[in-house]
Amino acid sequence: MHGRYDKPVLLSAMVLLVLTPPVTAGIKLITLPPRQRVEIQLDNPRITLVEEERVVPLSAGANEVVFAWANTHIDKNSIQLRCLTDPDKIKVLSSQFPPNENALTWQVSSPKAGAARVRISYIIGQLTKTFTYRAVASKDEKTLDLRQYIELHNKANEAFGTAGMWAGFGERLERPIGINETRRLLSAKFQDVPIRKTYTADLSKYGYLDAGKRQLRIPMHYVLKNDQAHRLGRFPLMRGKVRIFQDDGRGTVAFTGEDWGQFTPRDDEMTLYLGLAKDIVVKRTIDRRDRKRVMGNLYDYDVVVKYEVENFKDSPAVLDIAESLPALRAEILGKSRRAVHWEMGKDGTLDEMFDKAKSQADKAVFHVPLPARGKDQKAVKQVHKLHVLIKNEW
Amino acid sequence: MRTNWAATVIAAASLIAPAVGKNVDLSTIPPRNTVQLTIYNSEDLTLVRETRQITFKQGVNPLQFSWANTLIDPTSVDLRFKTHADQLDLIDTTYPHDKPQMLYWNVRSEMEGPATVEITYFTSGITWAADYVCVVDPEETRMSFDGYVRITNHSGEDYANAQVRMVVGTINLVEKIAELSRRGLIADEKERAAGRRAVPKTPAKPARGRALRALGYVMDSKPKEIIKEGLSEYFIYTVEGTETIRNTWSKRMQLFEGTRAPFRIQYRYRPAEYGRHMVRLFLLRNDKASTLGTTPLPDGVVRLCRDNGRDGLSFLTQQGIKYVPIGQEIVLNLGPDPEVIHEWVLLRNWRDNFWFHRGGVNVHFSPTKGHRIAVNDTVAGWDDHQEWVERIRNYRAKPIDVEIRRRFGGHVMFRSGLNPTLYDYRTPQFSARVNPGQKRELAYRVTSRQGYDKKQDKVTLLPQDG
Repeated sequence: MHGRYDKPVLLSAMVLLVLTPPVTAGIKLITLPPRQRVEIQLDNPRITLVEEERVVPLSAGANEVVFAWANTHIDKNSIQLRCLTDPDKIKVLSSQFPPNENALTWQVSSPKAGAARVRISYIIGQLTKTFTYRAVASKDEKTLDLRQYIELHNKANEAFGTAGMWAGFGERLERPIGINETRRLLSAKFQDVPIRKTYTADLSKYGYLDAGKRQLRIPMHYVLKNDQAHRLGRFPLMRGKVRIFQDDGRGTVAFTGEDWGQFTPRDDEMTLYLGLAKDIVVKRTIDRRDRKRVMGNLYDYDVVVKYEVENFKDSPAVLDIAESLPALRAEILGKSRRAVHWEMGKDGTLDEMFDKAKSQADKAVFHVPLPARGKDQKAVKQVHKLHVLIKNEW
Repeated sequence: MRTNWAATVIAAASLIAPAVGKNVDLSTIPPRNTVQLTIYNSEDLTLVRETRQITFKQGVNPLQFSWANTLIDPTSVDLRFKTHADQLDLIDTTYPHDKPQMLYWNVRSEMEGPATVEITYFTSGITWAADYVCVVDPEETRMSFDGYVRITNHSGEDYANAQVRMVVGTINLVEKIAELSRRGLIADEKERAAGRRAVPKTPAKPARGRALRALGYVMDSKPKEIIKEGLSEYFIYTVEGTETIRNTWSKRMQLFEGTRAPFRIQYRYRPAEYGRHMVRLFLLRNDKASTLGTTPLPDGVVRLCRDNGRDGLSFLTQQGIKYVPIGQEIVLNLGPDPEVIHEWVLLRNWRDNFWFHRGGVNVHFSPTKGHRIAVNDTVAGWDDHQEWVERIRNYRAKPIDVEIRRRFGGHVMFRSGLNPTLYDYRTPQFSARVNPGQKRELAYRVTSRQGYDKKQDKVTLLPQDG
């Protein structure tokens, strides 16, 4: 028995042999039941499970069924055989693993002779998936069409023929998968997804564009909310590269960049970086820093952060201003491990633009509407002030 | 029996003892009648007990026992007489200096005729391990839980038609059997210095015409039962009938079948156990109510799948489990669930209840107690307050139960309406149910006394203010 199926193993990566008893003689009859059905289960984030069905001829009594997988990356400890025909009567008695071979032999008992459909399942390596997206924004950048693709990379050294695939959501797909083939499959399509285009001023996160002038970097993003109100929300969006295009209004699209879309649960937002905005200029300065003794060596700090904002675009926009309170405290007092005890002061101009939902204990977020530049091509300079009391410092 | 490498008993025809010095000799090779393997999983140790029938003559009978290219511990080899014990005596045992894997027994017999002897020894290289395959139903309320054992033989010896027993439990050995087998009775200093280990040669193909059962080709047509019995602190699994355990092969058999075991699902945030994310757990018990409980579960890998309701399986997880006694809970960790989102959000910080230190007089003052604070007094103590919320969103179709443990260092007051308990002196624990589609916020306030105000190093649970 040792080495008796070397040849078929070398000829084909994965084979199932049924040895008709008796297997003791030198002359043997081997049947090679082909696959009837293959399902590739892709719903686990890291592991790919393959299930295949074959019809095997069994004799009454004990049978040997050999499964061999030369040059493929099957986890041999994961291989299971389940009988779909008469599962209560046809039993797997034991399995034996010969030395130095990617093969195993099941001892299968059958009460009668006949064909039995069996399902073999196993974990396979090098058969992996990634997700990619193609997003085409409308010319006005109010909506986009989003297509999600599964890219199946088959480096497992096995052709699966026409196989069913399921990623854990959406529709089941059925395609042939060849050896060393990468197949890109459309898994979901979302049309007219409302999006927000954001411009963000956040010194602690994005830094200065020109530190000498205190001019901030203003990154642009598309923000997609993964909920039904925004024509998404059917399932979490998996991490993947998003190629972003924009309708140029002439029946074609222009490539405007790409970013990694992070895993986005339902009701969360996927944020796609587009690049730096050059037409929105934001300068940030500390306009006030007054120290006030509370008692002993305990002080409060009265701080005003001034933002000078100009929109040179020919369309209005909304600027998101985010201020990190630990970073602001470090800027005026130096670093400290204490949490920041702070309150909004009364001298600010941003109170009505405060976004409570997006703000947290150590970050304040505001949304500032910016008008388009005037007909005279001059931008209106807005000056906004964030008044903060940083309390109980020493 | 393979005379090249197998453990072999040779009964010399000569009556002259010792027979080792003769150049011309005649030997007979009595085959094994029975063999029993008792395999331990906590150590690389197998107790082999074999019986052979030997024909003795009156007087001294020399026997040679050799075990070339195997991993037998020579210090463990023992000979006993199963029949005619009152007429047979083992008078000496000789370990020849020039033949490391061999010994001679001289047996004095008062009878002529056959007798059954039992030879026992320890060998390394035969191991067994358990693994488990579980399939959850589509509703995620019950699962099949099947246990398997896999025996692997790298001992250098085929064991045909062996009764196989496997021992669950930890035993104490002062020396490893593999080391003893390598070292031999008289250690080879050169080899010891080189740290080499004897590796059994791969055996040649079995010769044709051997008994088919011995080759493992003749199969039973029904699954073998594995009998499970407790013995002291150990559990012994005995495979029904006999098995052929061939060298370098491994064999996997079903240990038990758990059908439709009920389980419950819980989500836990326990950073010390599961890392810094909330994980989904399937919890069941190794007891009869769960269609299990016939045996403790030895250490092994659990592979967990779910019937995905589409005529297929979804692979959920694979994880190692440690020994699970009968009656104990089995915890299967599926990792983070993309359909259950957990966030820990700090809503607010503030400080109050200051204490000041006055130099020179070395006295502490508190303005909240009406003390007057001087200009040169310095902050010596205070209370930090933080308002936290655990936000949990459940996108699954069923309600979920979550349990959260948060550890805090220092002198901490934990205020909430969550009915928390203390897991330990610094770890509040609380639970909640989150309905399908619900976004639930579990809020609490943590007050941490600092500096002079810190009098303890523990968490005190308090009711929510107002």
